[in-house]
Amino acid sequence: MPDLTYLYAVAREPLPCPPGVAGAPVRTVTCSGLVAYVSSVPLEQFGEEPLRRSLEDLDWLAETARAHHRVVDAVAAATTTAPVRLVTVYGDDAQVAELLERRAAAFAEVLAHVTGRREWGVKAYSSPQEEPVNAGEGHGGGRACEGDRQASRPGTAYLQHRRATLRGREQARRQALQRADHIHRALTALAAAGHRHRAQDPRLSGRDDVMLLNGAYLVDEAREEEFAARAGELGGDGVEIRLTGPWAPYSFTVMEPA
Amino acid sequence: MRRDVVACEQLPPERVALVDLLDRLLAGGVVVTGDLVLSIADIDLVHISLRTLLVSADELEGSL
Amino acid sequence: MDTPRWRVTADPDTVERDLSRLVLTLVELVRQLVERQCVRRMEQGNLTDEQIEVLGVTLMRLEGAMTDLCERFDLAPEDLNLDLGPLGTLLPTQ
Repeated sequence: MPDLTYLYAVAREPLPCPPGVAGAPVRTVTCSGLVAYVSSVPLEQFGEEPLRRSLEDLDWLAETARAHHRVVDAVAAATTTAPVRLVTVYGDDAQVAELLERRAAAFAEVLAHVTGRREWGVKAYSSPQEEPVNAGEGHGGGRACEGDRQASRPGTAYLQHRRATLRGREQARRQALQRADHIHRALTALAAAGHRHRAQDPRLSGRDDVMLLNGAYLVDEAREEEFAARAGELGGDGVEIRLTGPWAPYSFTVMEPA
Repeated sequence: MRRDVVACEQLPPERVALVDLLDRLLAGGVVVTGDLVLSIADIDLVHISLRTLLVSADELEGSL
Repeated sequence: MDTPRWRVTADPDTVERDLSRLVLTLVELVRQLVERQCVRRMEQGNLTDEQIEVLGVTLMRLEGAMTDLCERFDLAPEDLNLDLGPLGTLLPTQ
């Protein structure tokens, strides 16, 4: 069965890099001043049908994602790179060359956008707080009971307590969203671009607190220290900040459709 | 920087959290369509079944 | 090369337990919706003191009944939920 050509990234220089998905060695296809990093992969693993099944296997996905990332990361560390989405597969190298020629201008624009910049991830979590008791409802802590009135009107006391809990949660949620927006805006101001990813599924992240922000920022290399310092300042008061990076600019490579 | 609330993770590629990687690889990167065999954009990722898998924070911390 | 090890949990529920879990989840959904509606109407001043008291007692008993039923079927409160995939969960996870 003929192999397919798997595409990792596009840059301007051919450089050595580690093996990629399915343990396949990585090579380059050059055209129109652009260099595509590719591997040959078997149809029986990367054809449409087998792929649908493979993607439901988290072990396969993890291994493939890490291999893909290893290649992209190595290239991006050495030269300006436009990472390509996971599992982008072409019929053969000739089609990849044709892609480079046809979309040369778009790739050039993406590469210009990310030159001299790296991606940093900033995630914000809301640290667990004690459940706030509605200030208007009586004394702090515990049930909002009104002395011996509770005994005579337990239903009312119950509803009032439920109200305090629900409204307290809503207020906390609103405040958290505002905080997340504030952090995102402050960091985007220091970056060439900012992007918010979806909040991570707690089953994958292993965290049980609430993720307020899953941000990615394209930062000039000269401003990285300033950016990291600012990210740190934006935490506190019940918000934990986690900074990851540097990443290849995955989140900033949108190309206009052909 | 307030160290009590900030954690900076500058990890080698094998040690980055898988969840952070998937955020970028599944929803980031150049998407090229047309005249190619297959792109992940064509596949309905909603069907990735997480239901049968259980991950604990320890496993993620300990995974190398 | 190391990859993360993911534990696969075999599904231990019997068909009967799945069914009771589904039914109780839906009952819990209705209970939470009714409770929120009552709170809203109480705040809006649409209820008399008597109505508030009667509704409150009913909801309180309903909450107690749900707790009993969960115990009877060996279900924890967190078990009462439905995963709607991209839409998240049916009930809030708090």
